[in-house]
Amino acid sequence: MGPLLQLLLRNGGFVTFLLVELGCFAIMVNFEDRHQEIWANTTGIFGGRALEKRQMAADYFSLYETADSLAHIVDSLQARLSNARQMQVPIRDTFYLVNFDSLSKTDSVRRKTIRPQYEFVTAKSIKNSIAGTNNWLIINRGSSDGLQPDMAVVSPEGIVGIVRHVGTNFSLVMSVLHRQAKISVALPNQKNAFGSLTWEGGNPNEMTLRYIPQHFIVQENEPVVTSGYSLMFPQGHPVGKVKGSPKPDPENPYFLEIKVSLHQDMATVRDVAVVRNLFKAELDSLQLKISNNER
Amino acid sequence: MNGNSITPHILRFIGLVAVQSLLLNQMTGSVGVYFNVLLYPLFILFLPLQMPTPFLVVLGFAVGFAVDAFVPSWGVHASAGAFSGFVRGLAFMPFAPKGGFSAKDPIFAPAHIGWQTFLQGAALFMAAHILWYFTFSYFAPVFGWEILKKTAAAWIFTMIFVGLYAMMLNPKK
Repeated sequence: MGPLLQLLLRNGGFVTFLLVELGCFAIMVNFEDRHQEIWANTTGIFGGRALEKRQMAADYFSLYETADSLAHIVDSLQARLSNARQMQVPIRDTFYLVNFDSLSKTDSVRRKTIRPQYEFVTAKSIKNSIAGTNNWLIINRGSSDGLQPDMAVVSPEGIVGIVRHVGTNFSLVMSVLHRQAKISVALPNQKNAFGSLTWEGGNPNEMTLRYIPQHFIVQENEPVVTSGYSLMFPQGHPVGKVKGSPKPDPENPYFLEIKVSLHQDMATVRDVAVVRNLFKAELDSLQLKISNNER
Repeated sequence: MNGNSITPHILRFIGLVAVQSLLLNQMTGSVGVYFNVLLYPLFILFLPLQMPTPFLVVLGFAVGFAVDAFVPSWGVHASAGAFSGFVRGLAFMPFAPKGGFSAKDPIFAPAHIGWQTFLQGAALFMAAHILWYFTFSYFAPVFGWEILKKTAAAWIFTMIFVGLYAMMLNPKK
């Protein structure tokens, strides 16, 4: 206290000057309109810059989490894309089946037959519901990003839904937790026996798999993946696992009713990818011919 | 300071504030924007040379605040007055005799220190006061050139009035 008092006494003139000037400054910016305006603008500019710097610092410190999350998504999607590109190409002149994992390995004869079937457009879910009987999501991609109705939406963990309505920049996605959503899935441990997965309401982490014939002995915790028959979802994308023991379907006793626990928690879905089937138009036109022939 | 020595300062305070507010500030509006005369700092200039700086700062603030109340220009003259009180000692330092001012030089006036020293010291003191005043009056660095032009013009006009004041009233205490 003593040294501080001495300092004040020794620099009394300066301290008084500083205090009086601070008082004058306060009077100026409080009572003079012009000064008030200039002061407000100046503090606004510097305050804005300070906030911007703070946000940049905060973003910087969360970069690791963001990068980790993005890397996870990219890895997963690359794997899916790679799987989608892999095709078995029968070479007519021989008895061999050749697997190709890269387009660069094709020759002029095979190039026509080996093509990627799917493209992925990454997106973020900006609105989501799980509590209704029919649930929807909104994603931040639209027609300007090449989206069209009836494209599948997946996440690295599992399946999310199907694009139904497309705006210029946003799209409405019918969640898998929707009564009308029917996903064609398969059981890889049962020679890819396929059935239809639907949601019957209630538990948002559980769906029901039907149309697996009775003669398959399905075990609990068996994996469930997409079958690839729907034209929307690529083959082999993880969906979930069998929950409990399968029971005979009360509506159709020749088939099983299997409860499936979803890998993707629909309450936390955020980063997704929209799947574009590059041959959809061609496949649709072929299916139309089947329908026309059956009439 | 006894009662007799305070009276001239009180009278100077009242007289300078009245002249500044009722006459000189009105002339600025009618003569032109570059005609500015700031005479009230003479109150600070003529305060006793032995007065401690904190008192000078407070009295400088007081005279400036009185002028502000008449204009009204809240805080600008008060700030310049306090600044003048603070720098007065520095402005007079080059003109102080060896060993500093003594009791035989009660105030910085021509009667005690001579006309040349008075005008030199007053010129430096007034320049500091006017520059501070216009800087805070405009309050933005973008007006830098305008501040310098107005400071130069006001300094010339003010020094004429300072000379007239000293010649007519020739303050001794």
